[in-house]
Amino acid sequence: MADFYQTGIITTLHRLGKPSLERLESELMEHSKARPVTLVLPALYSEFEGQAMPRIVEELARVKYLQGIALVLGRASDKEFRKAKDSLSAIPYEVKIIHNEGRRIHEIYETIRRNGLNPGEDGKGRSVWLAYGYVLAAGKSYAIALHDCDILTYSREMLARLCYPVINSNLDYVFCKGFYSRVTNKMHGRVTRLLVTPLVRSIQNLIGEHLFLKFIDSFRYPLAGEFCMTTDMARVNRIPWDWGLEVGSLAEVYRNYSPRRVCQVDIAETYEHKHQALSAEDPEKGLMKMTVDICKSIFRTLASEGVMFSEGFFKSLSVSYLRQAEDTIVKYEADAAINGLEFDRHEEAKAVESFTKALSLGAQVFMENPMGTPLIPNWNRVTSAIPGILEMLKKAVDEDNK
Amino acid sequence: MQNFFSLILEPLKGVYAEFADFFPNLLAMFIIIFLGIVAARIVRAVVLKLLKAVNFDSWSDRMGFTTIMRKGDLWAKPSAAVGSFLFWLLIIVVFMAGFGALKIRAIDDLVSQCVLYLPRVLSAVLIVVVGYIVTGFIGRAILIFMVNRGYHFAKLLVEAVRLLLIVLFVAMALEQLQVAPRIVVSAFSIIFGGIVLALAIAFGVGGIEAAKKVIEKETVEKKDEKNDDIEHI
Repeated sequence: MADFYQTGIITTLHRLGKPSLERLESELMEHSKARPVTLVLPALYSEFEGQAMPRIVEELARVKYLQGIALVLGRASDKEFRKAKDSLSAIPYEVKIIHNEGRRIHEIYETIRRNGLNPGEDGKGRSVWLAYGYVLAAGKSYAIALHDCDILTYSREMLARLCYPVINSNLDYVFCKGFYSRVTNKMHGRVTRLLVTPLVRSIQNLIGEHLFLKFIDSFRYPLAGEFCMTTDMARVNRIPWDWGLEVGSLAEVYRNYSPRRVCQVDIAETYEHKHQALSAEDPEKGLMKMTVDICKSIFRTLASEGVMFSEGFFKSLSVSYLRQAEDTIVKYEADAAINGLEFDRHEEAKAVESFTKALSLGAQVFMENPMGTPLIPNWNRVTSAIPGILEMLKKAVDEDNK
Repeated sequence: MQNFFSLILEPLKGVYAEFADFFPNLLAMFIIIFLGIVAARIVRAVVLKLLKAVNFDSWSDRMGFTTIMRKGDLWAKPSAAVGSFLFWLLIIVVFMAGFGALKIRAIDDLVSQCVLYLPRVLSAVLIVVVGYIVTGFIGRAILIFMVNRGYHFAKLLVEAVRLLLIVLFVAMALEQLQVAPRIVVSAFSIIFGGIVLALAIAFGVGGIEAAKKVIEKETVEKKDEKNDDIEHI
């Protein structure tokens, strides 16, 4: 059980006592009549062959308050698309699979490109963005919930807790992000623990108090991929197509909505999914690539807020970050010790070294091209260029699912 | 015996003579079709380049033609669709010209009928295209007007107007194609007249009070204006 401390400028909804899933779901049943919710699942076909997906499907089949599911299937042939469709047939409500490699969706991307808009490169960001488009085109939902398909410890309680703050009209939040501890026999979540939080605090040390940095620092797990938001937000928010997806999405939430209408919720006691390799030598792969993209995303957001960056600033930032990260390692070592967890201090220090390199790399890329934003235009922008695009997208998905 | 041979050979000679007469026509047909296919391919390539140069696909996306194609589950690029349409149109013309070279009366009649019908097809297509643009324009104009005036059923009304216009343009296109023209005209008159009559009755009966208020309001305003003039003097 967690404490009840409220962190930062957003609301934190803790897991207190023993919350009843039945009560939560029955309330959601009522609220979803006025505020229907669609679940968006970005998935690769390989995940259908893994351990997590069967459990997720089994759990989702028992959920009664969802209006439907929009699953974006990546890296799948036509045959694999049909197999995936069969795998989801156990779910007793509407499930639409968006065949990302299909002929029709390919033409949708082409239509967007030839009108001077960039739908970005293949990845989770673009998949999620496309699913938002479908949900908007269907026009049946008030809210969109999203989680990954590689969660080994998935339970439908996660989804219920994620949806509740947005669907409950008495609470009326527009955005709710999940958080959880990523602990097995050791602590995971290196990028959040050793990069994002120390980096954000280092920048705060250098430039002073900044509302965006406070906003990011308020999230207990800013890189969590699970969230629920209103469809209005899906219409106006731009989405990064690179690894800066989570931070970039938070930046868009910060830009478009008041922090008072944003919350985070404790969705699980334990959370386990696939782990990324550090790939310290290659900045184009693994956690290093993710780290570079996250740094770029933070710098670009701050620059758009009017923060001035210079080479001298980045030199100071590297040193400041390194100290913050080292102090953080010491804190986590103590945390691991009292909880009897394994803690490899050497590995943690190596990770910090790599992240420092990535920070410098991100700064360099930003200084060379501060305008090079990897954001996919929001759906309002796309429909202003191509008025019928949502209809086309809906038709493509519906035809693929026939 | 010689007579017997001539009995066999004479028909064969006749067939040969007819074939010798017919062969140049057949050859001409094949040459026309071959050259026609080559020309159609060249025309398609030129048209595609031209459409690409004028950003036809993008224009089509914005005008809503791409949406119509997608609704019909056609997923080719609009320029490619126009190119293919022209190509197959030319192929039909080429085949008709080719068959015309055979100089067979029945085929000649069929070809001339088809040639005479082609302008009707083209004008029907033109009516549908222009009709779609006009419908979209009028629909959007009415929607903006109604929404700005604060009417609650603006979208419903616009859909009704769109439907009426679509019925009108489809009837015009069918009439142009001479597809059961009497039935089309009668059906159109009945449907369109019925809808207009229904609207007139609905508005007339339901709008008596509203019309009365508008007229009364205008009369009062005019009186007030006159009163104002006197008071100012």
